[in-house]
Amino acid sequence: MAEVNRRDFLSGLGVTVGTALTALPGVLPSVGVAHAQDKPKGNIPDTPFKIGHMTFFTGAAAVLGEPMYKGQLLAAEEINAQGGLLGKRKIEILKADENAGTDANVKELRRLKLSEKIDFFCGITSSGNTPALGPVAEELKVLTIFVDGCTDFLFDKAVPNPHYIFRITNMQSADGVTGAVAAAMTWPRTKRIAHIHPDYSYGRNAFDHFRIVMKKMVPGAETVSEAWPKLGTTDFSSHITKTIAAKPDLLAISVWGGDYVAFYKQALRYGMFDKMHVASMIAFGVAPHAIGKDHPEGIIAGVHSNYHFTYPGGDKWPYNKTFVEKYHKRFNEYPNFQAEGGYTATYMLKTAIDKANHLAGGWPEDDAIISVLEGLMMAAPAGYVYIRPDNHQGYKDAITGFSKNVAEYPFPILDPNRIITIPIRNITAPPGWPKGEPTSTYTWIDKTWPQVAMAAEPAKAPGAARPATPAPAKKQ
Amino acid sequence: MDIALIHVFNALLYASVLFLIAGGLSLIYGVMRIVNLAHGNLYAFGAYVSAWIIGYLSTSVAVGEAGSGAPTWVLLALLPAGALAAAAAGALLEPTLLRPFYKRAEEYQLLVTFGLLMIIDDVIRFLWGPYPLSASVVFENFGSVTVGDTLYPTYNFLVIGVGALAAVFLWAFIYRTRFGVVLRATSQDMRMSAALGVNVNRVYVQAFTLGCFMAGLGGAIIVPSQSAVLGMGVDALILSFIVVVIGGLGSLEGALLGALIVGVVREAGITWFPEVELAVLYLMAAAVLLVRPAGLFGRA
Repeated sequence: MAEVNRRDFLSGLGVTVGTALTALPGVLPSVGVAHAQDKPKGNIPDTPFKIGHMTFFTGAAAVLGEPMYKGQLLAAEEINAQGGLLGKRKIEILKADENAGTDANVKELRRLKLSEKIDFFCGITSSGNTPALGPVAEELKVLTIFVDGCTDFLFDKAVPNPHYIFRITNMQSADGVTGAVAAAMTWPRTKRIAHIHPDYSYGRNAFDHFRIVMKKMVPGAETVSEAWPKLGTTDFSSHITKTIAAKPDLLAISVWGGDYVAFYKQALRYGMFDKMHVASMIAFGVAPHAIGKDHPEGIIAGVHSNYHFTYPGGDKWPYNKTFVEKYHKRFNEYPNFQAEGGYTATYMLKTAIDKANHLAGGWPEDDAIISVLEGLMMAAPAGYVYIRPDNHQGYKDAITGFSKNVAEYPFPILDPNRIITIPIRNITAPPGWPKGEPTSTYTWIDKTWPQVAMAAEPAKAPGAARPATPAPAKKQ
Repeated sequence: MDIALIHVFNALLYASVLFLIAGGLSLIYGVMRIVNLAHGNLYAFGAYVSAWIIGYLSTSVAVGEAGSGAPTWVLLALLPAGALAAAAAGALLEPTLLRPFYKRAEEYQLLVTFGLLMIIDDVIRFLWGPYPLSASVVFENFGSVTVGDTLYPTYNFLVIGVGALAAVFLWAFIYRTRFGVVLRATSQDMRMSAALGVNVNRVYVQAFTLGCFMAGLGGAIIVPSQSAVLGMGVDALILSFIVVVIGGLGSLEGALLGALIVGVVREAGITWFPEVELAVLYLMAAAVLLVRPAGLFGRA
């Protein structure tokens, strides 16, 4: 494979810095119920529409679970205020705690379907749970949109041909890839890379994809240190000491939530941020308002490659502006990517039901809703989200950015002038790509991305973005 | 060399907090023969109370503006509030919840304390929500000292100091005071001490309160450098079980030695074999169980 120059490679990826989304004109469905609706066709029952929402309501992951539930709750309240789905069926949410453990969660899903007769299953945070619940949802024939649990494994291996289950957040591999692309374009002369990742599938996945992208884009860089704190670690003294001792020039980190808050406060006191660049996959993704103003500026502060409530900002993308306003008004906090996911998943369902009713009349069968969901594209708060028909996975442009303190918020946000977005199609394996180890996207990157030449180019300001050209990954 | 020194400090830091938690767990078991599964959550409760008070008083945490809160020494003086809150919870829980179960089989006590674990978990989430609670202003104000050519957080020395002081005080308390004699007598033979006129109920509530105080102190002292998060109690409980399995349940010396061993092994594990950091701790506990089933200092 021919070697390429890094800047051509980046523009080939369609990476853009600091540009805004432009709205397509036309009739693309969107979240919110502001616009006038067609009258539903046919006879609609007025029985409640039951949603089983399973997520973390207890334990450390409640920091993700609660906003997910709140996002769905907000959407349900809005829809119910308009009379319910198709103007008749009020949404009723039954909560279930994902913290009960995978086996108990499987039992609970069965109970929800068989005893509570739920019409729709939603939620799920953990990547350990979707591969267990996915096959059961298929077996029970319960229409499902997973908000998260974003492991590539679900649609690579566990349910390779989904019918009833969908998923809305970007796949996990997008995290490591986005973080590495951003790091490679910002600090192209990186030589020594250290890693700190939580010791479970998410951290392993971030590590693998960060490494493979760095191998392609920053040849010659080596991994000099690895640390694998258990999920829930709040004492990072040892991991920090070890990392500093290895003298890296870049740290890749995917520690999240309360763990990350503890990490950065300790790292500050060890002077860690003065000694190396830092690229995080998810620093600002989980609880944006729990980060203090003491957080260092200018690090890559990932948002799980999904969503930060400040982007798209201002009036550029009204769906985000109104969502953030409504969410803040209702819950007195800012939404994270899970809140956006829960909200969007609910409106995707509503849109599919509306369309299916428009086509056939009456309350649509699940199969009719599914056929509308497949290939559906919507304008959501985070931007356009598209459900790929072949694997039922939601795709939206991956985003990350740089931490910055601004006057408007009592916590740091992503620097509005330096938001990095990457078209998702350019960083995930295309339909039909053979299933691979550890993920299809990994083997796709390994086999098809060109190798950036080793030449020591001067560090240039990144982001001289050209319009998105075809992926660099075209088969040779 | 500097790095080696920092590794030692890190190990001591971890051991100090572990000793406070595991020491309390061991003390309660030693005197009352109760394995308190909710012990880790009393540690979490202490952490949350301290973080809440400090966060409230230092508006710098609440709104992110520096220098607009109470001075550091005031915050430091209020830090033990978490320990007092945990102690108060203990003083309340022992007579009301645990006392009725002393005559029942051990399984009932396990069930009750396990139920308590879940209740405290939910109470914490109900009171403070799912987001991490931070008291880092104290940690920040202490700054860092230079060790060789690296920085080290000054506050960590305070934690190590408190851990060491707690060990010394506890030892003096149990081996050098009249109350300590009564405590040890009750622990050796509850019926005989009762026959000799010791008010066993009172000793029990005092021992339980003291144990909870230690757990709360562990939470209070560590929360400025970390943060209070949901689930921290269960993690702490599991680690303190490793400590007491190694050191011997019911023995304070064992808790101290166990905490030091776990602190050192964890530090070494993270540095040289990160892939099996956790496994090593469990393997060590398993090895101790095989060779000395009652732990290094345990009474068979």
